[in-house]
Amino acid sequence: MTARPTPLCLSLLTVAAWALSLAVLSARAELFVAALPLVLVLAALALRPSIPDYALTHEVSTDWVFEGDTVTVTVAVAARSAVPLMEVIEPLPYGSELASGRNRAVMALRPGQTASFRYEVRWTGRGMHDLGAVVVRGRDRWGIRAWERRHVDRTSVRVYPRIAPLRSLPRPFHTQASVGDYTSPALGEGIEPGNIRQFTPGDRIRQVNWRASLRLGSLYVTQRHRERNADVVLMLDTLTEVGVAPETTLDLGVRAAASLATAYLARKDRVGLILYGGLMDWVRPGSGRTQYERLAGTLLRADVVFTYVAKDLAVVPPRVLSPHALVIAVTPLLDQRFTTAALDLAARGFDLIVLVVSPVDVTRGMLAGSETDDLACRLWALERRARLDGLRRHGLAVLEWNPAEPLEPALAGLERRRPRLAAAR
Amino acid sequence: MIRLPAAALAAVLFVVPVLTATVPAVAVLALIGLLLGAVGIATLWRWPVTSAACVFLTDYAAALWLADAPVSVAVAVGFGLSLLLLLESVELARCMRHATVDAGVARSLVTRWFGFGAATLVATFSAMALAFALAALVPYAAAPFVAATGALGAVLALAATVLRPRL
Repeated sequence: MTARPTPLCLSLLTVAAWALSLAVLSARAELFVAALPLVLVLAALALRPSIPDYALTHEVSTDWVFEGDTVTVTVAVAARSAVPLMEVIEPLPYGSELASGRNRAVMALRPGQTASFRYEVRWTGRGMHDLGAVVVRGRDRWGIRAWERRHVDRTSVRVYPRIAPLRSLPRPFHTQASVGDYTSPALGEGIEPGNIRQFTPGDRIRQVNWRASLRLGSLYVTQRHRERNADVVLMLDTLTEVGVAPETTLDLGVRAAASLATAYLARKDRVGLILYGGLMDWVRPGSGRTQYERLAGTLLRADVVFTYVAKDLAVVPPRVLSPHALVIAVTPLLDQRFTTAALDLAARGFDLIVLVVSPVDVTRGMLAGSETDDLACRLWALERRARLDGLRRHGLAVLEWNPAEPLEPALAGLERRRPRLAAAR
Repeated sequence: MIRLPAAALAAVLFVVPVLTATVPAVAVLALIGLLLGAVGIATLWRWPVTSAACVFLTDYAAALWLADAPVSVAVAVGFGLSLLLLLESVELARCMRHATVDAGVARSLVTRWFGFGAATLVATFSAMALAFALAALVPYAAAPFVAATGALGAVLALAATVLRPRL
């Protein structure tokens, strides 16, 4: 590390040279005297520079947050030798903004003294962000010599997508073997009453329906439906996106998927995830807190990877995409390959819901709002409505979500009938 | 906050030449220097402040030449210190802009400035005493050449120190 003269040196040299020249020209001793402080300071450059000895520590309040939350960063400097003037800067990572405080500090320390500063960073977009690259710029007593050092104490902060609380969720048609919140058609132990049948040996007394038994003259028992959970697979379209980060259709889709995952996991369902795009990635269905972290970790990495290849869902293992799972496809429906994949799933009898993140509203938000833009958006919206109606005619349950509005009303608008019943009519 | 001392120093640099020679031309030149200084302090650009320092110096030289007053070492030391501190305070203001400033910085600055002021006064009076002693040895006709050579030598030596390559 080398100490270098600062631009202040050149200013001082210029003024000193001008003062000496004027002194010679005007033959006034005062100007020699006036130049003396400047000359004395510049003469200090001939001395050997001493680089201060110090220790820098960098701490982050938490290593994970949700979008829009803040992280407190504390930077402390402990001086082992005198530090005349030190500038400490921590550049903000991409996608972050200062919530409070400042990410630059200037300090002067005596030997053994410690100084610290803290600030809060807010991330507006999901992802893995690195903090901890601190640049220290030191100056000597007169600011005529400076040196710079970079400290890297890398700390990763995971920013998870923001979650919207959802109370009404689409109900799966099929249930699984574990206990959950859905009433299963299968009869057994449960709360929800089902059919009434005649008493058979082995039935418990508490199952006897006394009212029916008295009326019909023999013992009858009430059968009950089991409460079971379901498998839900979220399929996220990462083929393409529109909009500006952190409000692209993919970002909005990731938030919707995270909200759905949280709500279904809270209902004891098993939730899986498929990222359908240039790079296929998936998470096996599972339940519990650990599963949420697994899903959120995969959603963090979700990004558009351009490809010409049409991905086949056959590569997804059946244990990830089980035939009895409710599949919720979250997509802006901008790429025909995803539409084809969704139709393929529906044709194979999957219980499929397509949640369409409206790209028209996202694009409209980016534009200046001229008449031409408005007309183009309206035409595009008409064209998309026709496409969505076409998909509905194929038997797909399609929900269109305007990201400017909450997700819950869009989900509540879904009317679902079992395909078997629909076919019977 | 650091801009306040810079503004005060600019005001001192404006006042000294005006009080030395009460001539309109000196006042106008001082006003130009003050204007440049104000621009530099407001924008924290280096070039207006350096230019302002040069204008103030020129104005001071003109005032001294016009007034033809006896040598005042204390005022000259104050003027020189004001020039130095003006340049340094603007540089510090650049450094402290949008930054959290530790309380120790102000304390350290005040101590340093007062210490350096005192040291400069002592050095100046010592240098003046030495100069009076040496002046007797230099022939009157050769004095301007000696002064010019000394000034040029000092500037070149300083320039060599500032601009020498660092490994």
